[in-house]
Amino acid sequence: MERKKAIWGFVFTIPAIVFFLIFDFYPVANAFWMSFFKKDLLSLNPPKFIGFKNYTYLFTSEAFWNSVKATAIFTFGTFVPMVLVSLALAALIITRKRFQKFLQMAYYSPAVLSSVVAAMIWLLMFDPRGLANQFLNYFFNTYGVDYHWLSNENMLRLATIIVYFWKYVGYFTVIFISGMASIPRSIHEAAIVDGASGWQDFRHITLPLLKPTTLLVSVMSMIQCLKTFSTQYLFVQGGAPRGPIDVITLNIYNTAIRDHQIGRASAMSVILFFVIMFFTYLQFRVSRSEEVSY
Amino acid sequence: MKKFFVALSLLLVILSFAAKVELVFWTHEDPNRTPLEEGYIKEFQKMYPNVEIKRVTYPSDKIKEVLLTAFAARKGPDIFNIEIQDEYPYIVNERVAPVNLNALGLKSYNDLKNQYLEGSLDAVTYKGKIYGLPLELTNWCIFINKKYFRDVGLDPEKDYPKTWEDMVRISEKLVIRDGQIIKRRGFDFRYPYYLTFFVPMVEQLGGALFSADGKTAIINDNAWIRVLDFMKQWGPNGKNLGSPTYTAARKEFNKDNNTVVMCESGLYQIDRIRTENPAFYNSNEWMVVPWPVFKNAVRDVKSNYYGHYYMVNAESSKEEQEWAWRFINFMLSHPQDYLVKVGLIQPRKDLIESDVFKNYPYSDVFLEDMEKAHIVPLHPQGPQIEQLIREAVESVMLTNTSSRDALNTLKRKVNDLLKEEQ
Repeated sequence: MERKKAIWGFVFTIPAIVFFLIFDFYPVANAFWMSFFKKDLLSLNPPKFIGFKNYTYLFTSEAFWNSVKATAIFTFGTFVPMVLVSLALAALIITRKRFQKFLQMAYYSPAVLSSVVAAMIWLLMFDPRGLANQFLNYFFNTYGVDYHWLSNENMLRLATIIVYFWKYVGYFTVIFISGMASIPRSIHEAAIVDGASGWQDFRHITLPLLKPTTLLVSVMSMIQCLKTFSTQYLFVQGGAPRGPIDVITLNIYNTAIRDHQIGRASAMSVILFFVIMFFTYLQFRVSRSEEVSY
Repeated sequence: MKKFFVALSLLLVILSFAAKVELVFWTHEDPNRTPLEEGYIKEFQKMYPNVEIKRVTYPSDKIKEVLLTAFAARKGPDIFNIEIQDEYPYIVNERVAPVNLNALGLKSYNDLKNQYLEGSLDAVTYKGKIYGLPLELTNWCIFINKKYFRDVGLDPEKDYPKTWEDMVRISEKLVIRDGQIIKRRGFDFRYPYYLTFFVPMVEQLGGALFSADGKTAIINDNAWIRVLDFMKQWGPNGKNLGSPTYTAARKEFNKDNNTVVMCESGLYQIDRIRTENPAFYNSNEWMVVPWPVFKNAVRDVKSNYYGHYYMVNAESSKEEQEWAWRFINFMLSHPQDYLVKVGLIQPRKDLIESDVFKNYPYSDVFLEDMEKAHIVPLHPQGPQIEQLIREAVESVMLTNTSSRDALNTLKRKVNDLLKEEQ
């Protein structure tokens, strides 16, 4: 009977497996395969096998290392504040007696917006005559200073970080809220009965019990940041210099679509794949040791 | 008998459907061109009921990638057009079919060339065959809002910029800033089309992008450095007259909203002004003047022109190719409509010699400049080279990189690219 159930269980998963094989596994396997070839996207000539040359080229390429640097700065610059702020916001929202749902919705709403639309809105704000300069001039009490949001290397990086932070902070806040809500109320009540203050309750009860969620959020946000594309793409289209924000995904896009070098772009995708895989593995490893039970 | 006729008519219907040729035609969005070409499709389909044409438009910055991925998957459309520098790799990789002379009712390529201005088919001529027919050839001149010239005491008819040095001087008079932030630009370049405007500026001073044999890039350092210095002076770290990070000048120009006084654009801009801002179009407050040259120019070269050429997929069936060329020929046999209704110049002799062209506003200015210009440099690595030039120009404009350092980097990267290609 059990065996029959298992067989039927497997049968029902077949469509999902087929879907995965065609739309996920095949492109990944194909990218691995293509990364050993030299192939012009437009050429009808068969791809030429070149072994690891695409990889050796990339590891000696100035542009690739610049992309690694741009990706690393963006990722660490975004995910650290994102985790901290979303945690703080979640703690703030969950303690509100009124407007809790409204605040969750308000913070979450940018995540619903398409990345392209979000980048376009922010591009307008970062225009030299836009709101970003006006705000900083008001804040620093300066007159007519152009803070070069889209041209200065560091400001440009900060601008892309702000867009991403704004878009996803609400999303991770909601995940933190659900993590906090899953901590049994009785534990908090016991701590309060024992005389713990609000801060002590948060510091010694909420935070330790929230570790799996914190880990999940940090790894998810890190992976998401590593895959960032549309913000940087649209900023470059909007006139910003590419170098400081030439993240790996943007480099992959340009190598494939502009340069037609699909083999080299595949090699870059494979490298990014392994980087993401490493962090996913890290998540599994650490989350196993950080499991909590109530 | 009745049954026989029913069966026969059914068979005829089936055969007529079976024989139907369906052509897929991809082009970029152009609100003025769409009704015109939709009309031609209807007319053509009426003339040839066995042909069905499906016209699909994409935004001009999207069509390149959609087309590339379609061709990479061998699912490209039967007919398409993009800018010639992006079409060139399709020719070199033999992904497009040569012009079918039979479909055009011509006997030789010479007959075809005779219909067009000299050299206008050179860009699509490869190994002795012609691979495209021009939808438009576009060069840029300077559009001026006369009102703002007068506001600062300049007479637009006399004081318009003839040299790039004039452009700086006049822009300094016209610019309005709020501290460092520019509220009104006198003029601004058309970033990031560096092959179209930056390279000819270098050529005016005696430089070139490629050597005569095409094996070396960035010729005459001195000319390149002088133009890079000019751009540095133009940018926010110099005289702060413009920057790639401001909204495109040609878009602001049409609004007549005191944010830009001059821009560089093609003849089609006139039609865009008419569509977007009829009051400004009819105000007689705008004019077009030739593209400037440097004061000490050694070559009188104007902005490069670029073109959109209609091409046919080499993997379409022979029958589809023939009908595709017939349809393209049908569309392009209305050059006056394209000029009057869309503002596009098709380099056909019959158009250039016509009264319609001669009477079209500022067509003479564009034509005179075009005669001194040449097509954008065509190279399989053209888009990469343009990106490298962009990096060099923007590094001097937006950072503290010196022109010499930017040039050295540019030279090394472009020549590495050429070596890799060889």
